[in-house]
Amino acid sequence: MAEGSPAKQPEQPEYIRIKFNLPRPYNWSTGRYLGKLYAEAKENKKLVANRCPKCKEIHLHAPTPVCPKCKVDMGWDWVELPQTGTVFQYTYQVYPLWDPHVGGIFADPHPPAIILLDNGVYLRHRLEETDTKKLKEGMRVQAVWEEDYEKRGQGFQDILYFRKIEE
Amino acid sequence: MAERVGIVAVAQSKYHPNRADVNEAELAYEAIKQVLEETGLTLPDIDSAVTCCQDAWDGRTIASLNLQHVVGAHFGHEFTVAEDGINAAYVAMSQILAGGHEIVLVESHMKESQGDKSLIENAGFDAILMRQLGLDFTSAAALQARRYMDKYGVTPEQCAKAVVRNHSNAKNNPFAQKPMNITVKDVLKSKMLVDPIRLLDTKPISDGACVMIMATEEKAKKLARKPVWIMGVSNCYETHYLGDRELADCDALVKAAKKAYSMAGINDPLTQIDVAEISTEYSYQEPLWMEGLGFCSRGEGGKLVDSRTIEMGGQLPVNPSGGVLPGNPNTVAGMARVAEAVLQLRGEAGARQVKGAKVALAHGYTGICGQLQAVMILANT
Amino acid sequence: MAVRTAIVGVGQTHHTTKRNDVNVAEMVGEAVRAALADAQLSVKDIESFIFSNMEAFEGILLPDHGIIAEVGAVGKPGFKVTGGGTTGSEAVGEGCHMISAGLYDIVMIVSWQKHDCGDATAGISAAAVPTFAKGMVTGAVSEFAKQALGYMNESGAREEHAAMVRLKADRGACRNPYSHLKLGLTSVDEVLKSTYLVWPIRLYDFCPQSCGACVIILASEKRAKKIHKKPVWVADFEVVHQEPFRAGSFGDPTGTETYSQHVACERLYKRNGITDVRKQVDLAEIYEPSTWEEISLYEHLYFCEKNEGWKLIEKGVTEIGGDFPVNCSGGVLATNPIGATPVIRIAEAALQIRGDAGEHQATRDIKTAVATALGGPNWTALFLLKRSL
Repeated sequence: MAEGSPAKQPEQPEYIRIKFNLPRPYNWSTGRYLGKLYAEAKENKKLVANRCPKCKEIHLHAPTPVCPKCKVDMGWDWVELPQTGTVFQYTYQVYPLWDPHVGGIFADPHPPAIILLDNGVYLRHRLEETDTKKLKEGMRVQAVWEEDYEKRGQGFQDILYFRKIEE
Repeated sequence: MAERVGIVAVAQSKYHPNRADVNEAELAYEAIKQVLEETGLTLPDIDSAVTCCQDAWDGRTIASLNLQHVVGAHFGHEFTVAEDGINAAYVAMSQILAGGHEIVLVESHMKESQGDKSLIENAGFDAILMRQLGLDFTSAAALQARRYMDKYGVTPEQCAKAVVRNHSNAKNNPFAQKPMNITVKDVLKSKMLVDPIRLLDTKPISDGACVMIMATEEKAKKLARKPVWIMGVSNCYETHYLGDRELADCDALVKAAKKAYSMAGINDPLTQIDVAEISTEYSYQEPLWMEGLGFCSRGEGGKLVDSRTIEMGGQLPVNPSGGVLPGNPNTVAGMARVAEAVLQLRGEAGARQVKGAKVALAHGYTGICGQLQAVMILANT
Repeated sequence: MAVRTAIVGVGQTHHTTKRNDVNVAEMVGEAVRAALADAQLSVKDIESFIFSNMEAFEGILLPDHGIIAEVGAVGKPGFKVTGGGTTGSEAVGEGCHMISAGLYDIVMIVSWQKHDCGDATAGISAAAVPTFAKGMVTGAVSEFAKQALGYMNESGAREEHAAMVRLKADRGACRNPYSHLKLGLTSVDEVLKSTYLVWPIRLYDFCPQSCGACVIILASEKRAKKIHKKPVWVADFEVVHQEPFRAGSFGDPTGTETYSQHVACERLYKRNGITDVRKQVDLAEIYEPSTWEEISLYEHLYFCEKNEGWKLIEKGVTEIGGDFPVNCSGGVLATNPIGATPVIRIAEAALQIRGDAGEHQATRDIKTAVATALGGPNWTALFLLKRSL
């Protein structure tokens, strides 16, 4: 990153540097609503989201007790989402950046994408294809699940990525 | 500009050692649903929300992102006051008095069970001089307790008495986490954590939420069956470095109380206040904070704990709810004190009611040895 | 809402990559002293403090508590605000509330961020929902990348237009003694040579992580004129949150959703009788973490029609000497200490209205300005500042 040249900066002495890494563990709860998404993913390899009784909008990111737009209690109305869709938009990381959830520099080789599932709901996820020249907006894709039951239980991450559907 | 600001409804979740069944939004929503039901309001009726949580505790940058839905923030207005809950009520009051926001939702939540308390608290100390010592809030509190007790001769027995009284009162509080049948002897025999603080001198890990709706005087009269008015409120900072502070004193509390009292026309707390809810995470804080609040003179806090004055039925009952010691999360504690004060002034405190309470005091603090202190005076007329 | 609160003092540090020569408190203290000097007040005159800082970037708890002595707040009231990118605006807004409420006459807003203590991308990535965010978010950069793609597709803008935004920002930064990145760029080609971070966002399309502080002193109407010859009035402000877009964080590539900027502008412009922003407002200091965001904001803040934003930059309308100068200071693209950035926007707009912006003073006379802030996910703060009410 380019350095600025501040108007006043004293002669740079030698600084003592002490690196301080302190991992900070958390036990987050998914709660009931996101918990249902996790349970369906783990047990049944299904992707579910809840639907607002008033505006009928489906909330995938994330299932929630209150509809963000109508501000009404969502109740408990769940829909199963299709596992196929089209790539609405994608991008790819060139410069590795720090990911606090991994605790280090992390450049995921799988391009992040916004996938328009076949029922009109947008899902942010990854694409399997790492060769960026082969990516195209509008590609038809399909969810690829983690098949090992023991390894599932990561919610959205139980889907490893979306794979191009060969026509 | 509104004349007075009213608290229209309050709700608390039952405090619990580990609410693994809910995330932050659902925890807060339990309490939010109650205040909406009580007032007949819906989220779109709320003009603004003031939330109270800590990014470091929720483990998320902009922790209130967890709550946007349940406080109705879409195309609305919300921000977080990153201090103890009572300060969020103070900020909400200023929003209402300034005009423009007539109904404000005030929320606080915390899940102490989800992080490592010592690690997170350690991050509150100055990185260069104090953090490397491995201090957390408990070890810092021990420094203050030792200094205070040595200077004024407050005894471990007197501190233990405060614990016993709070737990006994908590039995009448349906929201209390874990009221215990304990004696002074039990406290003095409990495991030593950091001298002189023993296990039973502290509060357990706690998860919970507390929510209020505040409004202009006009709206409060329409929305609340019994609005409670904020008569005075202030907060005050101490300096940060422990070595720069006389830990046996609590100057910030003295100042905050003085300002709040003067706004509310209080010059003799013992006679003019009917009930007090104060935040104490450690037993020594009860005598110390009471001195700061002017319930007695400096150094006399231990004697006040010994006396009948602050017991149920006494001249100024302190913590009929049991306060924080039986279990309250740190960031929620001050707002829970306000909620309890409101229930007292509405005559809805059930078995813990102080009869005929007209004026109440609520207190909360934030940070190391109470670096930021806040005091609020409420009344029902 | 009518606040009738004035800005009577502003102070900033010289923002830069690393401030190894000071700790956090000392750095903030520099800005506090600068603001007090500007207002010709003593620290004793300050009645209350409001702090703006995001804990994640220095990795601390209760960041305000650590600096109380150095800012002069011992024995005074105050609190800290958390709100992401809009934190500083909320702090200024609350200061206005406290004064309008009659609680105080003089409030100091203290904002800072010392990014050399931590990693900004990590801090921002930690804003994602913790339970399912691992590896899914690459900080703000990937979100802006998606926005840029969507915009190019819809409007016909090209990477060259983003480069022009960086060039304008850099010219401003080189004239502004306080700004961080002074790159000395001279051509679109030079900008287009910089490496991609997350395609199509290049290094030069994005803001830096800066160490810096900015302090504003607010005063009530009755005290303001006695304190400063040229008080700048906070005529109105609006802060609007929103649900994340269905298909983006900072932009809606579907083109179907309402932006918080639209809501904020519709409310604030209507209240203040503003129907043609570029005619009725003289200057803007907007919060643009990326070059593409600046172009988008021209449209979402109603400076121009939809899909026309890139034309404003191409025609030089928003240059320092243009009809509607935007970010003469170099903006966020040059300087970004996150907790302080919204306050810097307000401070810079105030300096322009006072005519005190030195070499980066706009050519036109600035009587009215807007200052904005952007928080995740696309929250907006909008301030209307005036020379006289």
